[in-house]
Amino acid sequence: MSGVPAVQVSIESSCEKQVQEVALDGTETYVPPLSMSQNLAKLAERIDFGQGSDSEGDEAPAEPRDRDWLKQEPEEEEGTVKFQPSLWPWDSVRNNLRSALTEMCVLYDVLSVVKVKRYMALDPVSQDPSAGKSPQVFQLMSKKKSLATAAQLLLKGAEKLNKSVAENLENRRQRDFNSELLRLRSQWKLRKVGDKILGDLSYRSAGSLFPHQGTFEVIKNTDIDLDKKIPEDYCPLDVQIPSDLEGSAYLKVSIQKQAPDIGDLGTVNLFRRQPKTKAGTQPWHVKLEAAQNVLLCKEIFAQLSREAVQIKSQIPHIVVKNQIISQPFPGLQLSISLCHSTGDKKPVKGSPERPRPDDHLYVLEHNLHQLMREFHKQRLSSVVMPHPASAPFGHKRMRLAGPQAYDKAEISSLQQTQGLLEKIIKQAKHIFLRSRTARTIDSLASHIEDPQIQAHWSNINDVYESSVKVLITSQGYEQICKSIQLQLNIGVEQIRVVHRDGRVVTLSHQEQELQDFLLSQMSQHQVHAVQQLAKVMGWHVLSFSNHVGLGPVESIGNASAITVASANGEYAISVRNGPESGCKVLVQFPRSQNKDQPKSEVVQDTKWTHLRGAYKEVHWSKMEGRNFVYKMELLMAALTPCP
Amino acid sequence: MEAPPVSVMPVTGGSINMMEYLLQGSVLDQALESLLHRLRGLCDNMEPETFTDHELVYLLKGQQGNPFILRARHSLSHLAAPWHLRYLGQPEVGDKSRHALVRNCLDVSASHSLPDVLNEMGFRMDHEFVANGHVFRRGALKVVVSKLSRVLVPGNTENTERLSLSYLVELSVLAPAGQDTVSEDMRSFAEQLKPLVHLEKIDPSKQRH
Repeated sequence: MSGVPAVQVSIESSCEKQVQEVALDGTETYVPPLSMSQNLAKLAERIDFGQGSDSEGDEAPAEPRDRDWLKQEPEEEEGTVKFQPSLWPWDSVRNNLRSALTEMCVLYDVLSVVKVKRYMALDPVSQDPSAGKSPQVFQLMSKKKSLATAAQLLLKGAEKLNKSVAENLENRRQRDFNSELLRLRSQWKLRKVGDKILGDLSYRSAGSLFPHQGTFEVIKNTDIDLDKKIPEDYCPLDVQIPSDLEGSAYLKVSIQKQAPDIGDLGTVNLFRRQPKTKAGTQPWHVKLEAAQNVLLCKEIFAQLSREAVQIKSQIPHIVVKNQIISQPFPGLQLSISLCHSTGDKKPVKGSPERPRPDDHLYVLEHNLHQLMREFHKQRLSSVVMPHPASAPFGHKRMRLAGPQAYDKAEISSLQQTQGLLEKIIKQAKHIFLRSRTARTIDSLASHIEDPQIQAHWSNINDVYESSVKVLITSQGYEQICKSIQLQLNIGVEQIRVVHRDGRVVTLSHQEQELQDFLLSQMSQHQVHAVQQLAKVMGWHVLSFSNHVGLGPVESIGNASAITVASANGEYAISVRNGPESGCKVLVQFPRSQNKDQPKSEVVQDTKWTHLRGAYKEVHWSKMEGRNFVYKMELLMAALTPCP
Repeated sequence: MEAPPVSVMPVTGGSINMMEYLLQGSVLDQALESLLHRLRGLCDNMEPETFTDHELVYLLKGQQGNPFILRARHSLSHLAAPWHLRYLGQPEVGDKSRHALVRNCLDVSASHSLPDVLNEMGFRMDHEFVANGHVFRRGALKVVVSKLSRVLVPGNTENTERLSLSYLVELSVLAPAGQDTVSEDMRSFAEQLKPLVHLEKIDPSKQRH
């Protein structure tokens, strides 16, 4: 027993007072104990007043009895009432009790008499049926009333529901401020500053370095009159954009012949109509997009003008107001201008130039935007992030420059040397060169019919390089005479021509050079065609030269010549074709056909008359035939005697 | 032959005299996800970049009291990237109102033979650790959230032990000397991270015991 820990026993005295109520915080309210007078009254209730006060000496002390009068014996009614004239405090109580007892006895008597039914009998009272209202009508009236009350309640409830549904519809139609704000936030960056909601429409988080803040403010549109009909394009949300980004802007790039005077530079004010907004876009979205576009155009133009001023080039660029002018080729002018209209001003009437449809180089404008965005992206590329993390930001190849001991040439090749302006000028040069080449080839093709010139432009081009395949053929003899096939690679400033036989010629940007070259190739083609034709016709090629050194000097290229002999050797055709001098065809006849040759005394044998002798020129223009090769074929056929 | 004219004046300006502005704080592991989420929203829009670096701290004890400290760091995830050597000067005792810790900073890229060179020059490695985590940028601001681990066996970076249950958050900018607007930008950025992490300037000299 010593190891067992002692058990604690709590003893509590039993409640002397009864608990009336336990409050929520645990306090108990006890029934207040009876005071002295209340206690006395309680005891007095138990006193039996059937016993008189003068019988207190003889009778036994009054016993406390139950108060159930109904069970009392009729003996009580025989108890005499002893009236005490003296006023003692219980007098009235006693009188009241006595009268109550009398009443109860009477009632008891009546009930017992009724029960026995010997002396008295009870009969029900018959009711007059005509007296009072009929029960059906009464019921109808009461039913009507109750139904009316119920109907009224239901109507009240229905009215309330109707009102709330109508309110909901109103709200949805009004597209309340918060849901619009949510939609705005899903597309644009917003933040709360104090009690204002500001947003950011700049490209800074996308990598731009432009110092413009680009913050816009979101305003609640409260000037709406709820009583009047709400207009269709009502929007509870409005945005306030910075004042210098209002309206819309675009960049215009165009190439023109150099203007003779520079008096009206910077007055480019051509503006096209605003594009229609798509149905369903919110007005704030349109506004913000336009402002963002203005910001991007400003950034591009600022970058271009900065480069135009800083970069040294042979012909300096001119920056005037909202226009940058540079000279890609002599006699040509490239102008890049920022056209910004705030929208509220009326368009300036009487602009000096009519807007020509092909004035805009839309491709270059699009490229400007793309180059800027590429620059942004490049600033954010993961190539810039440092590994290890404590290294400063910078291109990862530049970080290798030190450890790998790059020299100056390698470092300069890593760094971007070309700015936006240079790139755009290069692209403009290429576009211009390409269009001029196409124009040259097309004009030659339309003017010259005899050798036909075909150009097949390749679909896939670079911004700085395009290529075209030029074929010079004769109509009807394409399969035979296909020796002149040129591949032209049009670069930024030069055109590189690759001949079929492997020769590479580099032409400058001059239009005349290309034209002269193509003309010389055409004349060479004719002579090549004769060579191929001779093979087909069975004639032998005696001599062939692409560049003859005899005869008049050509100003464009060189003349080429060929001599072919017939199969039996009797006839020979000599052709000399030059780009400028045209073609000259001579036929060599056998001596026997030469009537006016004097008979020689030395050469007697008749076999020598079969040799070829004098030449005769052919009136080529009078020859029958559609083109040169056809004529040549006819000539050859004519000189081949049928067996 | 004459020696070519060489300037003997010390090089100033350019990228030589850069100051590092620094704010530091820390978050518990449980709060990391929400912090990364927040940083992704606040910083530039790029793919999140993780890193694993191994840093060695070298000391050169001279006759005077303060040893010369150099930090050599290389990436364990990008093994071809060069080593990075860093010197951090004493924090500038400027006016107390400056919000960030400013100290002179010199960053040099080095080849993979850096530890050998430092050893040969007389530096001794004091301690090393492995840091891995995430890097964010916002303009010129760099936010590095890293978990530091102790290297148990010197030279073996596989066997590491985490030093604490929290991540170290550092906000730093490298700028030429004299630009005080940088610390304003840093403070406003730190305000935006306020309930998640408290970034403040912690003087390293007060940490030493």
